[in-house]
Amino acid sequence: MAERCAVIGVGQTHHKSKRDDVSIAGLVREAAKMALADADLTWSDIDAVVIGKAPDMFEGNMMPEIYLAPALGAVGKPMFRVHTAGSVGGSTALVAAHLISSGIHKRVLTVAYEKQSDSDAMWALSVPQPFAAPLLAGAGGYFAPHIRAYMRRSGAPEYIGRMVAVKDRKNAMRNPYAHLHLPDIDMKMVEDSMMLWDPLRYLEACPSSDGAAAMVLSSEDAISGHYPPAWIHGMAMRSEPTMFAGRDQINPQAGRDCSADVYAQAGITNPREQFDCAEVYVPFSWYEPMWLENLGFCDLGDGWKLTEAGATAFDGDIPWNASGGVLSSNPIGASGMLRFLEVAMQVRGQAGEHQVDGAKLALGQAYGGGSQFFAMWVVGSEKP
Amino acid sequence: MADSEVLHAEHRLEYPYSRSTGPIIGAFLTALRDGRFLGATGSNGSIIVPPTEYDPITSDDVGELVEVGPGGVISSWAWVSTPLRKHPLQTPFAWALITLDGADTAMLHAVDAAGPDDLATGTRVTARFRPASERIGSMADIEAFVVEGGAA
Repeated sequence: MAERCAVIGVGQTHHKSKRDDVSIAGLVREAAKMALADADLTWSDIDAVVIGKAPDMFEGNMMPEIYLAPALGAVGKPMFRVHTAGSVGGSTALVAAHLISSGIHKRVLTVAYEKQSDSDAMWALSVPQPFAAPLLAGAGGYFAPHIRAYMRRSGAPEYIGRMVAVKDRKNAMRNPYAHLHLPDIDMKMVEDSMMLWDPLRYLEACPSSDGAAAMVLSSEDAISGHYPPAWIHGMAMRSEPTMFAGRDQINPQAGRDCSADVYAQAGITNPREQFDCAEVYVPFSWYEPMWLENLGFCDLGDGWKLTEAGATAFDGDIPWNASGGVLSSNPIGASGMLRFLEVAMQVRGQAGEHQVDGAKLALGQAYGGGSQFFAMWVVGSEKP
Repeated sequence: MADSEVLHAEHRLEYPYSRSTGPIIGAFLTALRDGRFLGATGSNGSIIVPPTEYDPITSDDVGELVEVGPGGVISSWAWVSTPLRKHPLQTPFAWALITLDGADTAMLHAVDAAGPDDLATGTRVTARFRPASERIGSMADIEAFVVEGGAA
């Protein structure tokens, strides 16, 4: 029987396009110190540190965990670095939680970050490799054809993507840490923005952010902090190949298997009914309806209908990305952890202006690579 | 199959990056540009030079920045009799760990001396900065250290 594990402290930076006032160490320490303060702990109370970030080429800082070990209080303690592309923030939190659920440690600090202004991740993702299919222009270039395929398969109207773009930016207005605050956002503003990768327009894509996220995870006998713990009810990861002819990139098997696993652990049979909210990795607007289907919140082909009906809006029956999501802040390595952190904030009742009333049970999801790495957790205000 | 039939492709990877140095390392580098040394105060009162952003013992933020040097003491050194093209000096020199006056940690830099007989553990040296117009906020703003009172 695994030990119970809970989130007892959270911290994040104010995500921005450029944090030139801090070093990478300064950026990650900002989030880590905030999480320690929230948990009412100091560096010396931590047993182990687990850090995650997206590919090293994004900042050109090879194996940053070497340089960040002392910056994160890891001297004399175990430290691990996790690496699963864009889902890394989620996988990092899960590796940290496993160190507690396995009974090895009592308090683990987990941190994820990206300092995109030190380079340009979109072009770092676009380096042509010999004898390999090119990714062309960044993640958007890779995902746009899959979005077109989803639209054709589901019959979704063109404006659904714009609705998600508007909804998540309106939510971001409630979140002081969000990178994008666009008070005048509306369907026309999105429609008037530049076409980047058909059918994705500029305002249907995530920003490039500098930012970090951190959590303190605890075993049941070491709970502390200023808010009630967020108990972990289930956690799962799955992977699949990037390029494989038989793969369904619109509705990946790894995503379906991962959610089936985490739902079984948490006793979820009807996610739309049972969850009070969800934070799901939506870096491009159309990934909301696609993941609604992949995560079983509706029947196949119906994801866009939930978006259209407002079900996923802040005042809908199942708010998705009340924080503004990846569409409003994208420090890549931290973006998955922010999904996990935000649902912990919701069930701890510390989400402030973007608090979903009475949230008790919530799903955090992150995906990465070519829709090939999935990480999920379910957190609740009650013990599992 | 002959080797010539195996495909090879050249792959050259070049990519530009920038770095933000933050309030501690940034202040240290800015001081170098001004021809001065700054150290950070650690939790036990020790002065760390070059400064770290966080205390190496407690991981807390470091305290006040204080001016140290420009003189100091060699704690360890190695003579380079045949400098390579990329070395900071093209005449024979020493790599040395130098504890600046007021500092508790040693810093690695080059010492420009006539020969190894001029150097010993405990020898006093002082920084020779490049002219102000050439300084950019880098360790290379210090051309080298020289023996105090020496001819170099």
